[in-house]
Order: sequence, then C-alpha cells, then structure tokens
Amino acid sequence: MKLLAILILLLPLGAQEPAKPSQEPDKPAQEPAKPAEQPATTTTAAGEGWIQGSFELGYRWIPNIGGNFNAYRSVVNLGEGPKLLDADFTLIDPSKRLFDRADVHATSWGGDPYNTLRVDVKKDGLYRLTADYRNIAYFNFLPTYADPTLSLGTLLDQNSFDTAIRTTNIQLDILPKKWITPYLGFERNTQFGRGVTVFQTDRNEYPVASLFSDQTNNYRAGVRMELGRYHLTIEQGGTTFKDDQGASDTLTNPGNFTGTFLGQTLPLSRMNELYRVRGDSIYTKALVAANPYSWLSVTGDFIYSKPRTDINYTEASAGTFFLNRILQFYSAGQDVLTGDANQPHTSASVTVELRPLPKLRIVQRWMTDRFHNASNALLAENLVIAGAPFTDQQLANDRLILNYSEEEIDAFYDLTSHITLRGGYRYTWGDADVRAPILTGLSLEPGNLRRHVGIAGFTYRIGQKFRVIADAEGSSSDQTYFRTSLQEYQKAHIRASYDLLTTLRVATDFNLLNNNNPDPSVKLDFSSKVESASVNWTPKWIKGAHLLLDYSRSAVRSNILYLVPQTLSPASSVYRENGHALTAVANVKWVSFGGTLFISSGSRPTRYYQPLARLSVPLNKHVQWNTEWRWYSLNEVFYAFEGFRSNQLITSLRFQR
Amino acid sequence: MTICRTIVGTGLLATGLAVSAQTTGTPPPAPAAALSYVGSETCKTCHEEIYNNLQKTPHFAIETGARRGWAQKSCESCHAPGSKHAESASADDIKNPAKLSAGDVDRTCLNCHLNEKTPVGRIASGHAKDEVACTSCHSVHGAGGAKLVDHKKPDINAKCATCHVSQWASFNRPYKHRLQEGAMSCVDCHNPHASFRADSMRASFGNEPGCLQCHSDKRGPFVYEHPVQKLEGCGACHEPHGSANPRMLARHNVADVCLECHSNLPIPSAKNAKLGGVPPAFHDLRSARFQNCTVCHIKLHGSYVDRTFLR
Repeated sequence: MKLLAILILLLPLGAQEPAKPSQEPDKPAQEPAKPAEQPATTTTAAGEGWIQGSFELGYRWIPNIGGNFNAYRSVVNLGEGPKLLDADFTLIDPSKRLFDRADVHATSWGGDPYNTLRVDVKKDGLYRLTADYRNIAYFNFLPTYADPTLSLGTLLDQNSFDTAIRTTNIQLDILPKKWITPYLGFERNTQFGRGVTVFQTDRNEYPVASLFSDQTNNYRAGVRMELGRYHLTIEQGGTTFKDDQGASDTLTNPGNFTGTFLGQTLPLSRMNELYRVRGDSIYTKALVAANPYSWLSVTGDFIYSKPRTDINYTEASAGTFFLNRILQFYSAGQDVLTGDANQPHTSASVTVELRPLPKLRIVQRWMTDRFHNASNALLAENLVIAGAPFTDQQLANDRLILNYSEEEIDAFYDLTSHITLRGGYRYTWGDADVRAPILTGLSLEPGNLRRHVGIAGFTYRIGQKFRVIADAEGSSSDQTYFRTSLQEYQKAHIRASYDLLTTLRVATDFNLLNNNNPDPSVKLDFSSKVESASVNWTPKWIKGAHLLLDYSRSAVRSNILYLVPQTLSPASSVYRENGHALTAVANVKWVSFGGTLFISSGSRPTRYYQPLARLSVPLNKHVQWNTEWRWYSLNEVFYAFEGFRSNQLITSLRFQR
Repeated sequence: MTICRTIVGTGLLATGLAVSAQTTGTPPPAPAAALSYVGSETCKTCHEEIYNNLQKTPHFAIETGARRGWAQKSCESCHAPGSKHAESASADDIKNPAKLSAGDVDRTCLNCHLNEKTPVGRIASGHAKDEVACTSCHSVHGAGGAKLVDHKKPDINAKCATCHVSQWASFNRPYKHRLQEGAMSCVDCHNPHASFRADSMRASFGNEPGCLQCHSDKRGPFVYEHPVQKLEGCGACHEPHGSANPRMLARHNVADVCLECHSNLPIPSAKNAKLGGVPPAFHDLRSARFQNCTVCHIKLHGSYVDRTFLR
C-alpha cells in the first residue's frame, strides 16, 4: 500500500518538466534555422501499410526415427504435422489512438516442443508493454541416467519426466523516457507433467509414477527516476509459490532389490505420496547510478528478500518393508510431515569508477550476499508392525547460513589510443554454516572461503576493425568451501576479431582454466582449454551469398581423489573430454546447406550430427517457398543403445507484406 | 589486509578529489569559434539514408523532443558540432563514435541511457572491462529497420556468437539449453549491460540466481538445503551451455559428480576442511543400485522432507 501511495503521489510529477541537468551537454553556439515540422517518430512511411511482416506456415514429415525413440525425444523431440514456423509482424495504428506500434514475433507453434511469443506494444511518451512467453517441453528418459537395472538389459530411467516448463514475463512501463517512469511487472513460471521417480525405503527402492505441478508468480512494481546526474530505481516485488507434486503406485512392485532379506522379499503393493508446499516472498530492490562529477561514476544496488515456505507432506504405503532404526519388518506405513523454512536474504554492491587522469580509469567494487535459512519440520510416522500399530515422531530443524563478500579494484590505463592495459586485485571471503554429516555427531559444520586473485589484461583495437582482448587471473587459496572449488587456479582468455574486409570477419577465441588442490586427500588436477575460430563472409560479387564457419576444440582433463564409501580407501575420479564442434552454413542465392556436428572422445565418446539443406524459392514478391531437410544423429560409443537417427523434411510457404 | 584496502581506497578518493578540485573549478574549454551546430536538416542533405533510417527509430525522439535539449540537432547530439564538417565535408572534421575508445562511446550513450533498466552497474560489467562499446551491439542509426538492437532470439544469439564463439559452440552438444532452436536467447540468462552477479548472470526474484527464473521449483527455501547449490550455484554440477552428458552434468557418471565432493572424513578442527561428508559404508559402489546416487537421492536440489534428500 505504501508503494502504491508513493506511486500515486509521484505520477503527476511525470507530467512536469524534468529538473535541468546540472551539466548540460554543450549548448549550441548558434541555433540552427527551424526546420519544417518534423514527422512523428513512427509514422507510416508512404507506401507502407498498417501491417508489415511475414508468416511462415509449413508441414514437417519425419519418415523415420531409428534407434532409441526416448533418447530422440530427450534430445530433439520434434514431431510431425502442420506448423506455424514463424510469424514476425509489425502493426502500426495510423490513428495512434491505442498504440503507435506493436511488434509481434512467434515461433514454432503447432505441437513443436518449444513455442515462443513476444509482443512489444508502445505509444510514445505514454506506455510500453512487453510480453514474452516461452513453452518448452522437457522430456528426459535416458537409460544411462540413474537406472540400476541397465546391466540386466532394461532400458529405463528411474528418474525421468515428461513435463512442460512455461515462462511468462510481462512488463508495463508507464511514461517511458520521462524523467520518472513507473512500471509494473508480472512473471509466471510453471512446470507440470508426469514422470517416474523412486519411492525409497531402508532396504529397497521402487520406481513409481510421479506427477509434477508447481507454479511461481512474481509481481513487482517500481519506479525509475532520472534526476540529472543521479538516477534511482526502486522496486517492490512479491512472489507466490505452490508445489503439488506427488507419486503413486497401485500394482505390486518388486523394486530394485529382487533378492531376499532375512528370508523375505521386499515388494511394494501400493503407495501414495503428496506434497503440498506453499511459499511466498517479498523483496525490495534499490538501484542507484550517479555521475556526480566528470571524473566519478557510482552505481550500487541493495536487495532484500524474505522467501518462506510451508510444507505439508503425506505418504501412505503398504507392502513388506524393513526399518533399520528398529530392526523390524513392517507391512504398512503412513508419514505426515509439517514444516516451514525461512530465508532472509540481503545482497548489496557498490561500484565506483574514478577517472583521475584522462588516460586512467580506476574501478573499485564491493559486494556482499548474505542469507540465513532456518527450517523446522515435525514428522509423524505410523507403522503397522506384525499387525500392531507403532507410532513415532521426529522434530528436526536445520540451518544454512552464508556470509559472502567480494572486493575488487581494477585500473585501466590507455597506453596509446589503441592499447588499454588492465590490472587488478580481487579478494573474496566468506563463511558458511551448513548441516554437518551424521558421522560427525555435530549439528552444524563451518566452511570458510578466502581467495586472493590477481588480474591482468589488455585490449588492443584499431577502430571497429581489429580488436584483441586478453584477460588473465590467478589465485592461491587454502580456504574454499568444497573439494572441487576454485583453489589454486589460473584463468586466461584471449579473444580477437578482425574485419579483413567489410564483408569478411574473422574471430578467434581461447579460454584456459587450470585448477589445483594439492591437499594429499584431494589431489585435484583440473584443466579446461577451448580454442575457437570463426569466419563470417558475405561476398559482394555473389548475390545472396553468405558463409559462416565456426570451429571449436575443447579439452577437459580432471583427476581428483575420492573415498570409496564401502572401504574408505582412496580412488581416482578421472574425466576426459576432447571435443570438436563445427558449424558450417553456406548460402548461395536460393540454396543453403551445412549444419553442425559435435565429436568427442574420452569418458563419454559422442557423435552428434545435425546437417541440413534448404531451398528457398521466391514465388512472387510476397510469397516464398521453403523446403528444408535435416538429419539428426546421436551415437555414443559406450552406450550404442542410446543412439538415434532421424530424417526430417519441412516444406513451408512464407508470406511477406 | 583491511588496513591496506582502506589506505588504497582513501588514496584513490583523495586523488580523485584533488583532480576534481582542479577540474571542477575550471570551465570546459570553449569550442573553437568556428564550431557551431548546423542542425540535422543540414546533415540530411548529404546523409539522407542515415537520416531516413534514424527517423524510424526511437532515437528520432531526440530530434522531435525538447527534453534532452537536442531538438532538431539529433545528429550533433552524438557527433558534436558539425559546422566545420559541413563546410569541408571531411571525415576528419566530425566526431565519429566508431573511431572513439569504448569508454568514450559508452559515456556518450550513457548521457541519456544511464538509468534505463539495464545499464545500471555497467561500469562493473565484463563488457565494460573488455572495452566493448554499446555500438558493438546497438545500431544507433537503426540500419535496416526500426530497431536499434535485435529482439528476435535467433538474431540475439547470432550477435553474441560473433564474439563468444566458444560458448556458442557448446550448444552443438546433445544436452543443452534450447538456444540453437530459437526457444531461448543468451540474454534470457545473461544481462549484457551489467549485472552484480558473476558472469553477468541475471537475477530472479530480487536476488536469486537467474536459473531459477525458469527452474523456480529449485528455489526453496527447503527444509533441508543442499549447500552446494546455494554456495556455488548450479554450475557446480551442470554445464549450462551444453554437455555430452545427460542432464548437462559435468561428469559422465552421476556417482563421480557426487563423490568428488562427498569424500571428506570428519576433521572438525581443520581450518581448511571442506564441506560434504562421505556416504555410509552400505553404499557399495560395486552394486548398480549405488552407482547412480540420484536413484535414491531424488531431491538433491533440496528436500522438504528428508535430510538425505530421499524424498
């Protein structure tokens, strides 16, 4: 309500002229002659209609999908049928009554696994409304992921799903480009569908059907203010969350453990599990940017949020189970849990840029991120043991506390008009308290982070034509949160681009990361290297010709010790990947051909090909006929059963106005 | 260390103030007497195509509106007074942002755009540090259309890929986010202007990682959190751009992902002790049941019910 009141009070100010900036841009020394009345910003030019744009309608045939159909769906998931492949049009209201201009862009409608829609409507000086919608089918059923029965020849995935994730994002800016701009926003994210999950007991686990249904809504309102050299954005937001996932089984299910335990098999005869989680959050955000002097810029933000959840969980099951805690079999159980979790969360940062000399720029940044998750849960268990009821209750609470801070100072010096040198230092530190492993007998264990990082780099440029950017940083630290965290590491990054001709651009990219943890119980030795090159050529002497070539070579090498749980003896976890990724697409007038490929060797050798050929024939000024062939092929040397290949043919008509 | 930082910070501030004392008291040098504004109509006589393009873009509001003080002089709002150039027609006699340093270009743009919703914090962003100017992505004159920057997801991706070649190549892998398919764009996750988070990641719900914008069921707060998700982020286990491993995991075996962290014997007094214990001994890795931790630990992003993420 306070925010609403402030907004209402501030709205009339938007109609006033803004305060004069304290530092006006250079005023004209001599006023130009007044030209004739200017056309409006978005008038319809002569000969242009109220609608401009294109639609592409087509049909996709899939003659064959060979190999593993579920793997195909997990990776590609395209289907047959009529499609609205693309719609991209602009509406211009000649009367300018409701809007000046509306841009609409939609892709892949008609049963495709990902649909998008974007609408951008504006009326100059009054409002701008943008809406973005995305629906992505999320299918995942891969035998090599989390299925213990794979060795028996069963091609299942006990942790699979067939869901859709929908995201909507709407924002309304009122009085855009005025010195005070209120805005409203709404976001929604939902996931729903079904899948397979696992119902776990002490001695056996059972694949069961699951349902997903969660939704998060985010409401926000704010105001952006431009006050000459000082700028402020204040936003108040709130979130609601609900999660109603569940799992069930009504048939006798032997589970993954098919042997006997103390002379008994351990089947599940029925189960039903339901989560009912409700959550909400408020947050307050303030962003500040200021240029108080010509030599000083400051930006900063402060965000406070307080998400919380309330949990109601019920589970009822019947079968033959064993409970380790009391060393007894039981035939039915019912669990009821109520709980809640709260996580106040504060983030803030300040960045200052000083320009003490024309060639020198110094940027200092400080940020912090702090939260404290406190949760409580009461679990009531009702079991049937040898026909008699057994009841138990457990009250639990948990904590996760993080205090993280980071400070960085960088200096940029323009050695010449073409070269800028950069050097800096970053210090990150933090402490965390997390739930301790059961073996320690403690409730919480501390974690510490102390990392000193040296930074260096340069930029070399000749106008927009040639540019080299090089960055390097190195760190030595003995306090990090996890065994795999960045500890003693070196990073390097070089990126170069050269416009050899106005029509030919060459770019290269090199990334390196080495990370080591010499602790004798860890012995982490990680290295990642990626080298890439790209050529983008549009020869003028061939009409409609274009060539795009991207090649990337990556190498990942990781060794780290781990403890084998059953013996606590050290063993080495080894991961290797040498990958080659290529994209090559050539267009010559009506024909395009090429595609992408990825080939890797190492721990999981993979070949993934996506070649394509496309014919685009203009039938007349407004209609174009497109036909495209694509091939999808996945081969994995160690998991041949997970490979697939598919031909696809799309033909479509593109209407343009 | 704190003292050192304080000294450095104070020194910087003092330096700045000293320079300010010199600069703020002195008026900026007056332009040469010959330099004056000629107005956009004069520019149009030679640069008609550019002017016509500009007319379709939001930047034409500079020409028609009085708010910024550049009515009828929109060209010179960026290119500075053009009288000398109008007389000589020499490219040397006009300010050309294409030939300026990235910082100078940015300052020109931010004169007007400082507090729009995206550029706040730009001075700390990776693009600013790497001297990537606004004009690297934005077409100020709106060449080829009414928009100053691409809005369609495939076009945005193509723009980013011209420099971020390695990152774009990652999307050639089989398990990836759907960028090549046009369902997502780089800016859905990254803010190219500025972000207070690492790697220019967007924030969601105020100050949560941008990944949660679409995967909001992983946000919690959970009764039992998996600390690595909150302390190191999703990238601790996943390769968000693309992976050869299912679920975009960083390792080919699920057990390796987990055990690389969960291999710490309890040493409570150790200063550099790592978080994460070791699984109890009944986890016999010789059995297929224990080779994929997520078969049982299904709620490993955080659980509302069980401290070991079994449900």
